[in-house]
Amino acid sequence: MEAIRYYVRGAFQGVKQTPQAIEQQEEIIADLLAKVVDLVGEGKSEEEALGMAIASAGDLSPLVAEFEIAEEGAAPIPTVEVYAGALRLHAAVLVVLIGAALMILSTAFGAAVHMLDSSAALILIASVAAATLWLRSAYSAYTADPDTTEFRALTPRPSLLRTLSIWAGVCFAGLLMQFVLSDGFWVWPFWVATTAWALLPMVEISLIKRGVMGVASEPQAANASVNAA
Amino acid sequence: MSEAPISSDLIRGHVDTIILGLLSSKDRYGYELCKEVAQLSDGEYELKEPTLYSAFRRMEPQGLISSRWGEGSQGGRRKYYSITDDGKRAYRQNLEDWKRARTLIDRLVSGESTKE
Repeated sequence: MEAIRYYVRGAFQGVKQTPQAIEQQEEIIADLLAKVVDLVGEGKSEEEALGMAIASAGDLSPLVAEFEIAEEGAAPIPTVEVYAGALRLHAAVLVVLIGAALMILSTAFGAAVHMLDSSAALILIASVAAATLWLRSAYSAYTADPDTTEFRALTPRPSLLRTLSIWAGVCFAGLLMQFVLSDGFWVWPFWVATTAWALLPMVEISLIKRGVMGVASEPQAANASVNAA
Repeated sequence: MSEAPISSDLIRGHVDTIILGLLSSKDRYGYELCKEVAQLSDGEYELKEPTLYSAFRRMEPQGLISSRWGEGSQGGRRKYYSITDDGKRAYRQNLEDWKRARTLIDRLVSGESTKE
């Protein structure tokens, strides 16, 4: 399956690695992989299927020509190849742990100020169910194919800003709800959930930076491996 | 295989309409569209990936289609496209235009007027 990645990235060599260009490559790779799966299903060998899929894609250069050429000496957008399944599983585990810690803290706080009522159990069960579902899907995706990789632009800023602003929005809405209902009890699960969710990009970034979940690869490095292949 | 596959030049101008037509019935991803076109044409026309992706890149900013990443049946990620309301309008218009052009071209290339 690596052959397809090499082929597509080789074709996009010299293109400025904008998010659009990276997404286009991901899309072609995903579609060609679907075709390979189809051909193997028809009884072709994997080698044969790979060759047929790549041949049928034909010359990608008219499409590549639509993208902006990388400027000489311009700083490339740093990208990283991550093991998608492993990354999601680890991020899910960490966020659930963080969420659980926050929930225990806020429950303890609620009990301390005598704000807890009997519906807490329902909310707790719902939260545990949601967390279990999430962990299960992340784990089954991981076990299905632990080697699936994704090519990501290491531009954490926009996603950080987005999640933080959503987090702030939910906190504000929560305060407003608390004011209107004069009972803040129903609000805290939302607050815990968004806080945990807002931590997700940070968790992913730190996992990638630690190098466990991905292979740091500048676009040039990716091209070099194409030439070597 | 008595006839050669049809020249792609004859079809190129209608790729957008073909894509819009296929997206009218359901959301699809790129390879699915290629497969559908191959089936519909009985192998007489093959929609090449670069042509398809170029068309997507042209039509999405025009607001005729929209895209999202979703999960495929085998667990892989796929980029799905769906038609917008503007896209549906454009499709109906293109279809009308094509029907008019078809009769006109028939008349022109055969050199016979069907009108009295």
